[in-house]
Amino acid sequence: MSDALRLRGVTVEVGGRLLLDQVSFEVAVGEFCGLCGPNGGGKTTLLKTALGLLTPSAGELTVLGRPPQEARRHVGYLPQAKAFNAGFPASAAELILANQRGAWPVRVSAAGRERARQALARVGGERLLEAPLRALSGGELQRVFLARALVNEPALLLLDEPTAGVDARGRGEFLELLAGVAARADLAAVLVTHNAAAVRRLADRVVYLDGRVLAWGPPAEVLDRKWDREAFGGQDHDSPVSPLCEDDDG
Amino acid sequence: MDDAFAYLFSPLAQAFVRRALAAGLVLGAAGALLGVFIVQRGLGLLSDGLAHATFGGLALGLLLGASADRAIWIALPFTVAIALGIQHVRGRTRLGGDVATGVFFAVSFAAGVLLLGLRGARAAPVNVEALLFGSLLTVSPEALAVIVAVAMLVVAMLAWIGPRLAYATFDPELAALSGVPVARLEYALLAMTALVVVVGVKTVGVVLVSAFVVIPAATANLIGRSLPSIAAIAVALSLAGTACGLFASYHLNVATGATIILTLGAAFFVALVFRRR
Repeated sequence: MSDALRLRGVTVEVGGRLLLDQVSFEVAVGEFCGLCGPNGGGKTTLLKTALGLLTPSAGELTVLGRPPQEARRHVGYLPQAKAFNAGFPASAAELILANQRGAWPVRVSAAGRERARQALARVGGERLLEAPLRALSGGELQRVFLARALVNEPALLLLDEPTAGVDARGRGEFLELLAGVAARADLAAVLVTHNAAAVRRLADRVVYLDGRVLAWGPPAEVLDRKWDREAFGGQDHDSPVSPLCEDDDG
Repeated sequence: MDDAFAYLFSPLAQAFVRRALAAGLVLGAAGALLGVFIVQRGLGLLSDGLAHATFGGLALGLLLGASADRAIWIALPFTVAIALGIQHVRGRTRLGGDVATGVFFAVSFAAGVLLLGLRGARAAPVNVEALLFGSLLTVSPEALAVIVAVAMLVVAMLAWIGPRLAYATFDPELAALSGVPVARLEYALLAMTALVVVVGVKTVGVVLVSAFVVIPAATANLIGRSLPSIAAIAVALSLAGTACGLFASYHLNVATGATIILTLGAAFFVALVFRRR
Protein backbone atom coordinates (compact mmCIF):
# COMPACT_ATOMS: atom_id res chain seq x y z
CA MET A 1 0.00 0.00 0.00
CA SER A 2 1.42 3.40 -0.98
CA ASP A 3 1.68 6.32 1.40
CA ALA A 4 -1.28 8.65 1.73
CA LEU A 5 1.06 11.60 1.20
CA ARG A 6 4.63 11.46 0.04
CA LEU A 7 7.01 14.34 -0.58
CA ARG A 8 10.51 13.96 -1.96
CA GLY A 9 12.65 17.09 -2.26
CA VAL A 10 9.60 19.27 -2.89
CA THR A 11 10.47 22.89 -3.64
CA VAL A 12 7.78 25.51 -4.19
CA GLU A 13 8.38 29.07 -5.30
CA VAL A 14 5.65 31.68 -5.64
CA GLY A 15 6.41 35.05 -7.19
CA GLY A 16 10.13 34.38 -6.94
CA ARG A 17 9.88 33.65 -3.21
CA LEU A 18 11.04 30.28 -1.95
CA LEU A 19 8.24 28.91 0.25
CA LEU A 20 9.22 25.23 0.49
CA ASP A 21 12.81 24.12 0.16
CA GLN A 22 13.58 20.45 -0.50
CA VAL A 23 10.83 19.14 1.77
CA SER A 24 10.69 15.38 2.21
CA PHE A 25 8.46 13.29 4.46
CA GLU A 26 5.55 10.94 4.12
CA VAL A 27 2.29 10.23 5.86
CA ALA A 28 1.25 6.60 5.97
CA VAL A 29 -2.30 5.37 5.44
CA GLY A 30 -4.11 5.65 8.76
CA GLU A 31 -1.51 8.01 10.23
CA PHE A 32 -2.32 11.38 11.83
CA CYS A 33 0.43 13.90 11.18
CA GLY A 34 0.72 17.24 12.95
CA LEU A 35 2.32 20.01 10.90
CA CYS A 36 3.75 22.84 12.98
CA GLY A 37 5.89 25.84 12.24
CA PRO A 38 5.94 29.60 12.33
CA ASN A 39 3.64 31.81 10.29
CA GLY A 40 5.02 31.95 6.77
CA GLY A 41 6.80 28.66 7.30
CA GLY A 42 5.06 27.01 4.37
CA LYS A 43 2.42 24.90 6.13
CA THR A 44 -0.53 26.14 4.11
CA THR A 45 1.65 26.15 0.99
CA LEU A 46 2.35 22.48 1.57
CA LEU A 47 -1.37 21.69 1.86
CA LYS A 48 -2.15 23.67 -1.29
CA THR A 49 0.58 21.79 -3.13
CA ALA A 50 -0.89 18.52 -1.91
CA LEU A 51 -4.25 19.70 -3.24
CA GLY A 52 -2.73 20.50 -6.63
CA LEU A 53 -3.40 24.22 -6.32
CA LEU A 54 0.35 24.93 -6.42
CA THR A 55 2.93 23.12 -8.52
CA PRO A 56 6.38 22.25 -7.18
CA SER A 57 9.30 23.70 -9.11
CA ALA A 58 11.35 20.68 -8.07
CA GLY A 59 10.81 17.36 -6.35
CA GLU A 60 7.90 14.98 -6.34
CA LEU A 61 4.67 15.00 -4.38
CA THR A 62 2.14 12.19 -4.59
CA VAL A 63 -1.21 11.75 -2.91
CA LEU A 64 -2.35 8.16 -2.53
CA GLY A 65 0.31 7.25 -5.08
CA ARG A 66 -1.00 9.67 -7.69
CA PRO A 67 -0.36 13.26 -8.76
CA PRO A 68 -2.38 15.64 -6.56
CA GLN A 69 -4.81 16.70 -9.29
CA GLU A 70 -5.83 13.10 -9.89
CA ALA A 71 -6.35 12.36 -6.21
CA ARG A 72 -8.52 15.35 -5.29
CA ARG A 73 -11.70 13.31 -5.16
CA HIS A 74 -10.18 11.26 -2.35
CA VAL A 75 -8.92 14.21 -0.32
CA GLY A 76 -11.00 16.09 2.23
CA TYR A 77 -9.91 19.66 2.89
CA LEU A 78 -10.81 21.94 5.76
CA PRO A 79 -9.51 25.42 4.89
CA GLN A 80 -8.08 27.78 7.47
CA ALA A 81 -9.77 30.99 6.44
CA LYS A 82 -13.40 30.60 5.48
CA ALA A 83 -12.99 32.72 2.39
CA PHE A 84 -16.46 31.96 1.06
CA ASN A 85 -18.74 34.70 -0.17
CA ALA A 86 -20.60 35.61 3.02
CA GLY A 87 -23.43 37.21 1.07
CA PHE A 88 -24.14 34.00 -0.81
CA PRO A 89 -27.42 32.39 0.30
CA ALA A 90 -25.91 29.05 1.24
CA SER A 91 -27.16 26.42 3.66
CA ALA A 92 -25.06 23.69 5.24
CA ALA A 93 -26.86 21.03 3.21
CA GLU A 94 -26.15 22.85 -0.07
CA LEU A 95 -22.46 23.29 0.77
CA ILE A 96 -22.02 19.60 1.59
CA LEU A 97 -23.85 18.46 -1.53
CA ALA A 98 -21.87 20.91 -3.69
CA ASN A 99 -18.68 19.12 -2.66
CA GLN A 100 -20.24 15.78 -3.47
CA ARG A 101 -21.55 16.83 -6.89
CA GLY A 102 -18.94 19.36 -8.00
CA ALA A 103 -21.73 21.87 -8.62
CA TRP A 104 -24.08 23.96 -6.52
CA PRO A 105 -27.37 22.08 -6.06
CA VAL A 106 -30.25 23.79 -7.84
CA ARG A 107 -32.63 21.71 -5.76
CA VAL A 108 -31.87 19.61 -2.68
CA SER A 109 -33.63 16.28 -3.15
CA ALA A 110 -34.75 14.09 -0.26
CA ALA A 111 -31.86 11.72 -0.95
CA GLY A 112 -29.40 14.61 -1.06
CA ARG A 113 -30.76 16.02 2.16
CA GLU A 114 -30.34 12.64 3.84
CA ARG A 115 -26.76 12.38 2.58
CA ALA A 116 -25.96 15.82 3.97
CA ARG A 117 -27.70 14.97 7.24
CA GLN A 118 -25.59 11.86 7.62
CA ALA A 119 -22.40 13.82 6.98
CA LEU A 120 -23.42 16.38 9.58
CA ALA A 121 -24.39 13.66 12.04
CA ARG A 122 -20.80 12.38 11.97
CA VAL A 123 -19.63 15.73 13.33
CA GLY A 124 -22.53 16.29 15.72
CA GLY A 125 -24.09 18.96 13.56
CA GLU A 126 -27.42 17.55 12.39
CA ARG A 127 -29.30 20.55 13.66
CA LEU A 128 -27.29 22.75 11.28
CA LEU A 129 -28.66 21.05 8.15
CA GLU A 130 -30.89 23.91 6.99
CA ALA A 131 -28.99 26.70 8.68
CA PRO A 132 -27.73 29.59 6.55
CA LEU A 133 -23.94 29.59 6.74
CA ARG A 134 -23.79 33.31 7.45
CA ALA A 135 -25.74 32.75 10.67
CA LEU A 136 -23.34 30.16 12.11
CA SER A 137 -20.71 30.68 14.80
CA GLY A 138 -17.05 29.89 14.16
CA GLY A 139 -17.34 26.48 15.84
CA GLU A 140 -20.52 25.59 13.97
CA LEU A 141 -18.94 26.60 10.68
CA GLN A 142 -16.01 24.31 11.40
CA ARG A 143 -18.38 21.39 11.93
CA VAL A 144 -20.17 22.09 8.67
CA PHE A 145 -16.90 22.40 6.75
CA LEU A 146 -15.62 19.20 8.36
CA ALA A 147 -18.81 17.43 7.30
CA ARG A 148 -18.21 18.83 3.82
CA ALA A 149 -14.68 17.46 3.85
CA LEU A 150 -15.90 14.02 4.95
CA VAL A 151 -18.87 13.62 2.63
CA ASN A 152 -16.87 11.94 -0.15
CA GLU A 153 -15.32 9.43 2.28
CA PRO A 154 -11.78 10.75 1.78
CA ALA A 155 -8.64 8.67 2.30
CA LEU A 156 -6.64 11.77 3.23
CA LEU A 157 -7.88 14.67 5.34
CA LEU A 158 -6.03 18.01 5.19
CA LEU A 159 -6.89 20.30 8.10
CA ASP A 160 -5.55 23.85 8.03
CA GLU A 161 -5.65 25.36 11.53
CA PRO A 162 -9.18 24.09 12.15
CA THR A 163 -9.45 25.54 15.65
CA ALA A 164 -8.17 29.03 14.83
CA GLY A 165 -10.74 31.60 15.86
CA VAL A 166 -12.78 29.08 17.88
CA ASP A 167 -13.24 29.71 21.61
CA ALA A 168 -11.57 27.44 24.18
CA ARG A 169 -14.64 25.28 24.79
CA GLY A 170 -15.37 24.91 21.11
CA ARG A 171 -11.71 24.11 20.49
CA GLY A 172 -11.77 21.26 22.98
CA GLU A 173 -14.97 19.84 21.54
CA PHE A 174 -13.63 20.09 18.02
CA LEU A 175 -10.40 18.31 18.91
CA GLU A 176 -12.42 15.46 20.44
CA LEU A 177 -14.43 15.36 17.26
CA LEU A 178 -11.28 15.16 15.15
CA ALA A 179 -9.96 12.39 17.36
CA GLY A 180 -13.12 10.39 16.66
CA VAL A 181 -12.94 11.05 12.93
CA ALA A 182 -9.26 10.17 12.75
CA ALA A 183 -9.77 6.87 14.53
CA ARG A 184 -10.70 5.32 11.19
CA ALA A 185 -7.82 3.01 10.26
CA ASP A 186 -7.95 3.82 6.55
CA LEU A 187 -7.99 7.59 6.96
CA ALA A 188 -4.76 9.59 7.04
CA ALA A 189 -4.77 13.18 8.20
CA VAL A 190 -2.46 16.18 8.18
CA LEU A 191 -3.28 18.80 10.80
CA VAL A 192 -1.71 22.25 10.47
CA THR A 193 -1.80 23.91 13.84
CA HIS A 194 0.01 26.16 16.31
CA ASN A 195 -1.66 24.28 19.13
CA ALA A 196 0.76 21.91 20.85
CA ALA A 197 -2.07 20.40 22.89
CA ALA A 198 -3.85 19.43 19.71
CA VAL A 199 -0.72 17.81 18.33
CA ARG A 200 -0.14 15.86 21.55
CA ARG A 201 -3.77 14.77 21.65
CA LEU A 202 -4.15 13.72 18.02
CA ALA A 203 -0.92 13.25 16.14
CA ASP A 204 1.07 10.05 15.67
CA ARG A 205 3.90 12.15 14.32
CA VAL A 206 4.71 15.82 14.05
CA VAL A 207 6.64 17.67 11.36
CA TYR A 208 8.19 21.07 12.07
CA LEU A 209 8.29 23.13 8.95
CA ASP A 210 9.97 26.48 8.40
CA GLY A 211 10.49 26.47 4.66
CA ARG A 212 12.33 23.20 5.18
CA VAL A 213 11.70 20.33 7.57
CA LEU A 214 13.44 21.17 10.84
CA ALA A 215 12.38 18.07 12.72
CA TRP A 216 9.93 15.23 12.62
CA GLY A 217 9.03 12.38 14.90
CA PRO A 218 6.65 11.45 17.72
CA PRO A 219 5.07 14.52 19.38
CA ALA A 220 6.60 13.85 22.80
CA GLU A 221 10.04 13.62 21.30
CA VAL A 222 9.80 16.61 19.00
CA LEU A 223 7.74 19.02 21.09
CA ASP A 224 9.76 18.59 24.26
CA ARG A 225 13.16 18.71 22.62
CA LYS A 226 15.56 21.41 23.70
CA TRP A 227 16.18 23.45 20.58
CA ASP A 228 19.71 24.62 20.06
CA ARG A 229 20.79 27.72 18.23
CA GLU A 230 22.35 25.86 15.37
CA ALA A 231 19.17 24.03 14.44
CA PHE A 232 17.38 27.36 13.98
CA GLY A 233 20.12 29.15 12.10
CA GLY A 234 21.47 31.00 15.11
CA GLN A 235 18.11 32.03 16.62
CA ASP A 236 17.59 31.40 20.31
CA HIS A 237 14.91 28.74 20.77
CA ASP A 238 15.67 26.98 24.02
CA SER A 239 12.16 26.53 25.36
CA PRO A 240 11.19 22.94 26.10
CA VAL A 241 8.07 23.50 24.05
CA SER A 242 9.02 24.66 20.61
CA PRO A 243 8.44 28.33 19.87
CA LEU A 244 6.73 27.14 16.71
CA CYS A 245 3.94 25.44 18.61
CA GLU A 246 2.13 27.03 21.53
CA ASP A 247 0.11 25.35 24.22
CA ASP A 248 -2.64 27.94 24.49
CA ASP A 249 -3.06 29.13 20.96
CA GLY A 250 -5.82 28.20 18.57
CA MET B 1 -63.38 47.02 -15.32
CA ASP B 2 -63.18 45.61 -18.81
CA ASP B 3 -62.84 49.11 -20.13
CA ALA B 4 -59.94 49.78 -17.82
CA PHE B 5 -58.15 46.63 -19.00
CA ALA B 6 -58.90 47.48 -22.59
CA TYR B 7 -57.46 50.96 -22.08
CA LEU B 8 -54.41 49.65 -20.23
CA PHE B 9 -53.49 47.10 -22.87
CA SER B 10 -54.61 49.14 -25.88
CA PRO B 11 -50.98 49.88 -26.87
CA LEU B 12 -50.60 46.20 -27.76
CA ALA B 13 -52.72 46.81 -30.82
CA GLN B 14 -49.66 48.38 -32.36
CA ALA B 15 -46.87 46.17 -33.72
CA PHE B 16 -44.02 48.39 -32.53
CA VAL B 17 -45.31 48.18 -28.95
CA ARG B 18 -45.55 44.39 -29.15
CA ARG B 19 -41.96 44.26 -30.40
CA ALA B 20 -40.84 46.62 -27.65
CA LEU B 21 -42.59 44.52 -25.01
CA ALA B 22 -41.11 41.30 -26.34
CA ALA B 23 -37.63 42.83 -26.51
CA GLY B 24 -37.89 44.22 -22.99
CA LEU B 25 -39.23 41.00 -21.47
CA VAL B 26 -36.68 38.75 -23.14
CA LEU B 27 -33.78 41.08 -22.42
CA GLY B 28 -34.96 41.64 -18.86
CA ALA B 29 -35.21 37.93 -18.11
CA ALA B 30 -31.73 37.17 -19.46
CA GLY B 31 -30.24 40.22 -17.76
CA ALA B 32 -31.85 39.33 -14.43
CA LEU B 33 -30.46 35.78 -14.52
CA LEU B 34 -26.98 37.06 -15.25
CA GLY B 35 -27.45 39.73 -12.62
CA VAL B 36 -27.88 37.08 -9.93
CA PHE B 37 -24.24 36.07 -10.45
CA ILE B 38 -22.99 39.60 -11.12
CA VAL B 39 -24.51 40.95 -7.91
CA GLN B 40 -23.35 37.98 -5.84
CA ARG B 41 -19.82 38.61 -7.07
CA GLY B 42 -19.95 42.30 -6.21
CA LEU B 43 -19.50 43.24 -9.87
CA GLY B 44 -22.48 45.59 -10.06
CA LEU B 45 -20.49 48.19 -11.96
CA LEU B 46 -19.35 45.69 -14.56
CA SER B 47 -22.44 45.93 -16.73
CA ASP B 48 -22.27 49.71 -16.55
CA GLY B 49 -18.66 49.60 -17.66
CA LEU B 50 -19.47 47.21 -20.50
CA ALA B 51 -22.30 49.45 -21.64
CA HIS B 52 -19.90 52.34 -21.96
CA ALA B 53 -17.48 50.04 -23.77
CA THR B 54 -20.33 49.24 -26.17
CA PHE B 55 -20.41 52.93 -27.07
CA GLY B 56 -16.83 52.54 -28.29
CA GLY B 57 -17.81 49.47 -30.33
CA LEU B 58 -20.78 51.19 -31.91
CA ALA B 59 -18.63 54.20 -32.76
CA LEU B 60 -16.09 51.91 -34.40
CA GLY B 61 -18.86 50.31 -36.44
CA LEU B 62 -20.12 53.70 -37.55
CA LEU B 63 -16.61 54.78 -38.50
CA LEU B 64 -16.28 51.65 -40.60
CA GLY B 65 -19.38 52.68 -42.50
CA ALA B 66 -22.06 50.53 -40.83
CA SER B 67 -25.52 51.95 -40.23
CA ALA B 68 -26.63 52.63 -36.66
CA ASP B 69 -28.54 49.31 -36.70
CA ARG B 70 -25.70 47.26 -38.20
CA ALA B 71 -23.00 48.76 -35.99
CA ILE B 72 -24.12 46.30 -33.33
CA TRP B 73 -22.25 43.56 -35.24
CA ILE B 74 -19.01 45.41 -34.58
CA ALA B 75 -20.01 46.32 -31.04
CA LEU B 76 -20.72 42.68 -30.09
CA PRO B 77 -17.20 41.30 -30.57
CA PHE B 78 -15.68 44.59 -29.42
CA THR B 79 -17.51 44.51 -26.09
CA VAL B 80 -16.95 40.80 -25.56
CA ALA B 81 -13.23 41.46 -26.09
CA ILE B 82 -13.36 44.25 -23.52
CA ALA B 83 -15.15 41.92 -21.06
CA LEU B 84 -12.51 39.25 -21.52
CA GLY B 85 -9.84 41.93 -21.08
CA ILE B 86 -11.39 42.99 -17.79
CA GLN B 87 -11.45 39.38 -16.60
CA HIS B 88 -7.86 38.88 -17.71
CA VAL B 89 -6.72 41.91 -15.70
CA ARG B 90 -8.76 40.75 -12.68
CA GLY B 91 -7.23 37.30 -12.85
CA ARG B 92 -3.63 38.26 -13.54
CA THR B 93 -3.15 41.32 -11.36
CA ARG B 94 -4.00 42.44 -7.88
CA LEU B 95 -6.36 45.09 -9.24
CA GLY B 96 -9.98 44.60 -8.24
CA GLY B 97 -12.77 44.11 -10.73
CA ASP B 98 -13.99 47.67 -10.22
CA VAL B 99 -10.58 49.12 -11.08
CA ALA B 100 -10.19 46.98 -14.20
CA THR B 101 -13.75 47.87 -15.24
CA GLY B 102 -13.12 51.56 -14.61
CA VAL B 103 -10.01 51.61 -16.79
CA PHE B 104 -11.54 49.70 -19.71
CA PHE B 105 -14.80 51.62 -19.56
CA ALA B 106 -13.10 55.04 -19.62
CA VAL B 107 -10.72 54.10 -22.40
CA SER B 108 -13.48 52.56 -24.54
CA PHE B 109 -15.82 55.48 -24.06
CA ALA B 110 -13.08 57.98 -24.86
CA ALA B 111 -12.18 55.95 -27.95
CA GLY B 112 -15.86 56.04 -28.95
CA VAL B 113 -15.98 59.83 -28.73
CA LEU B 114 -12.76 60.05 -30.73
CA LEU B 115 -13.95 57.60 -33.39
CA LEU B 116 -17.24 59.46 -33.87
CA GLY B 117 -15.23 62.64 -34.45
CA LEU B 118 -13.08 60.91 -37.05
CA ARG B 119 -16.04 60.18 -39.30
CA GLY B 120 -16.05 62.14 -42.53
CA ALA B 121 -18.09 65.29 -42.94
CA ARG B 122 -20.38 63.50 -45.39
CA ALA B 123 -21.12 60.63 -43.04
CA ALA B 124 -24.73 60.19 -41.98
CA PRO B 125 -25.50 62.05 -38.74
CA VAL B 126 -25.65 59.95 -35.57
CA ASN B 127 -28.28 60.47 -32.92
CA VAL B 128 -25.96 60.27 -29.92
CA GLU B 129 -28.86 60.84 -27.54
CA ALA B 130 -30.62 57.73 -28.87
CA LEU B 131 -27.38 55.82 -28.39
CA LEU B 132 -27.02 56.98 -24.78
CA PHE B 133 -30.64 56.68 -23.71
CA GLY B 134 -32.02 54.03 -26.07
CA SER B 135 -35.25 53.76 -27.98
CA LEU B 136 -37.16 50.64 -26.99
CA LEU B 137 -40.16 51.62 -29.08
CA THR B 138 -38.09 51.64 -32.27
CA VAL B 139 -36.82 48.07 -32.00
CA SER B 140 -36.92 46.59 -35.48
CA PRO B 141 -37.93 42.96 -36.20
CA GLU B 142 -34.27 42.31 -37.03
CA ALA B 143 -33.07 43.76 -33.71
CA LEU B 144 -35.74 41.77 -31.86
CA ALA B 145 -34.48 38.59 -33.50
CA VAL B 146 -30.95 39.37 -32.33
CA ILE B 147 -32.17 40.07 -28.80
CA VAL B 148 -34.14 36.81 -28.67
CA ALA B 149 -31.17 34.84 -30.03
CA VAL B 150 -28.79 36.35 -27.46
CA ALA B 151 -31.25 35.77 -24.63
CA MET B 152 -31.79 32.14 -25.63
CA LEU B 153 -28.03 31.61 -25.81
CA VAL B 154 -27.56 33.14 -22.34
CA VAL B 155 -30.37 31.11 -20.77
CA ALA B 156 -29.08 27.89 -22.35
CA MET B 157 -25.52 28.63 -21.20
CA LEU B 158 -26.68 29.40 -17.67
CA ALA B 159 -28.72 26.20 -17.57
CA TRP B 160 -25.52 24.36 -18.46
CA ILE B 161 -22.90 26.14 -16.36
CA GLY B 162 -25.08 27.83 -13.74
CA PRO B 163 -24.65 25.28 -10.91
CA ARG B 164 -20.86 25.21 -11.34
CA LEU B 165 -20.73 28.99 -11.72
CA ALA B 166 -22.74 29.27 -8.51
CA TYR B 167 -20.24 27.06 -6.69
CA ALA B 168 -17.38 29.22 -8.01
CA THR B 169 -19.29 32.29 -6.88
CA PHE B 170 -19.61 30.85 -3.39
CA ASP B 171 -15.90 30.02 -3.06
CA PRO B 172 -13.60 29.78 -6.10
CA GLU B 173 -10.94 27.74 -4.30
CA LEU B 174 -13.32 25.09 -2.97
CA ALA B 175 -15.02 24.95 -6.35
CA ALA B 176 -11.68 24.45 -8.11
CA LEU B 177 -10.88 21.62 -5.71
CA SER B 178 -14.17 19.99 -6.71
CA GLY B 179 -13.11 20.12 -10.35
CA VAL B 180 -14.94 23.29 -11.39
CA PRO B 181 -13.09 25.19 -14.18
CA VAL B 182 -13.40 28.46 -12.30
CA ALA B 183 -11.41 30.75 -14.63
CA ARG B 184 -13.19 29.54 -17.77
CA LEU B 185 -16.61 30.00 -16.17
CA GLU B 186 -15.72 33.53 -15.11
CA TYR B 187 -14.70 34.39 -18.67
CA ALA B 188 -17.99 32.92 -19.87
CA LEU B 189 -19.97 35.00 -17.36
CA LEU B 190 -18.34 38.22 -18.51
CA ALA B 191 -18.73 37.35 -22.18
CA MET B 192 -22.45 36.61 -21.68
CA THR B 193 -22.87 39.87 -19.78
CA ALA B 194 -21.22 41.71 -22.65
CA LEU B 195 -23.66 40.15 -25.13
CA VAL B 196 -26.72 41.12 -23.11
CA VAL B 197 -25.40 44.61 -22.52
CA VAL B 198 -24.70 45.22 -26.22
CA VAL B 199 -28.18 44.22 -27.33
CA GLY B 200 -29.60 46.06 -24.32
CA VAL B 201 -27.96 49.30 -25.37
CA LYS B 202 -30.26 49.26 -28.37
CA THR B 203 -33.34 49.21 -26.16
CA VAL B 204 -32.58 51.26 -23.08
CA GLY B 205 -29.32 52.92 -23.99
CA VAL B 206 -25.77 53.01 -22.70
CA VAL B 207 -26.63 54.81 -19.50
CA LEU B 208 -29.48 52.61 -18.30
CA VAL B 209 -28.80 49.12 -19.60
CA SER B 210 -26.86 48.04 -16.53
CA ALA B 211 -30.00 48.58 -14.47
CA PHE B 212 -31.59 45.68 -16.37
CA VAL B 213 -28.84 43.44 -15.08
CA VAL B 214 -28.29 44.78 -11.59
CA ILE B 215 -31.56 46.09 -10.12
CA PRO B 216 -33.83 42.99 -10.33
CA ALA B 217 -31.07 40.77 -8.96
CA ALA B 218 -30.24 43.24 -6.19
CA THR B 219 -33.92 43.43 -5.24
CA ALA B 220 -34.29 39.65 -5.29
CA ASN B 221 -31.20 39.35 -3.13
CA LEU B 222 -33.01 41.31 -0.43
CA ILE B 223 -35.96 38.93 -0.50
CA GLY B 224 -34.80 35.45 -1.56
CA ARG B 225 -33.40 32.78 0.73
CA SER B 226 -31.70 30.49 -1.77
CA LEU B 227 -30.02 31.02 -5.11
CA PRO B 228 -32.84 29.43 -7.16
CA SER B 229 -35.45 31.53 -5.35
CA ILE B 230 -33.38 34.67 -5.91
CA ALA B 231 -33.11 33.86 -9.61
CA ALA B 232 -36.87 33.25 -9.88
CA ILE B 233 -37.70 36.48 -8.04
CA ALA B 234 -35.23 38.47 -10.15
CA VAL B 235 -36.78 37.24 -13.39
CA ALA B 236 -40.32 37.83 -12.13
CA LEU B 237 -39.47 41.37 -11.01
CA SER B 238 -37.77 42.11 -14.30
CA LEU B 239 -40.75 40.88 -16.33
CA ALA B 240 -43.26 42.76 -14.19
CA GLY B 241 -41.16 45.94 -14.10
CA THR B 242 -40.64 45.91 -17.86
CA ALA B 243 -44.32 45.41 -18.63
CA CYS B 244 -45.54 47.96 -16.09
CA GLY B 245 -42.89 50.49 -17.13
CA LEU B 246 -43.67 50.11 -20.80
CA PHE B 247 -47.41 50.53 -20.45
CA ALA B 248 -47.01 53.40 -17.99
CA SER B 249 -44.61 55.22 -20.29
CA TYR B 250 -46.99 54.81 -23.21
CA HIS B 251 -49.98 56.19 -21.36
CA LEU B 252 -48.00 58.96 -19.67
CA ASN B 253 -46.13 59.73 -22.90
CA VAL B 254 -42.71 59.69 -21.21
CA ALA B 255 -39.39 57.97 -21.97
CA THR B 256 -39.90 54.19 -22.00
CA GLY B 257 -36.43 53.04 -20.90
CA ALA B 258 -36.32 55.49 -18.04
CA THR B 259 -39.81 54.51 -16.87
CA ILE B 260 -38.90 50.82 -16.83
CA ILE B 261 -35.76 51.51 -14.82
CA LEU B 262 -37.68 53.70 -12.38
CA THR B 263 -40.26 50.94 -11.95
CA LEU B 264 -37.51 48.43 -11.21
CA GLY B 265 -35.91 50.96 -8.87
CA ALA B 266 -39.20 51.47 -7.01
CA ALA B 267 -39.43 47.72 -6.42
CA PHE B 268 -35.90 47.78 -5.04
CA PHE B 269 -36.71 50.48 -2.52
CA VAL B 270 -39.92 48.74 -1.45
CA ALA B 271 -37.92 45.54 -0.90
CA LEU B 272 -35.32 47.50 1.02
CA VAL B 273 -37.97 48.68 3.44
CA PHE B 274 -39.65 45.30 3.87
CA ARG B 275 -36.60 43.04 3.52
CA ARG B 276 -36.07 40.09 5.81
CA ARG B 277 -33.92 41.06 8.77
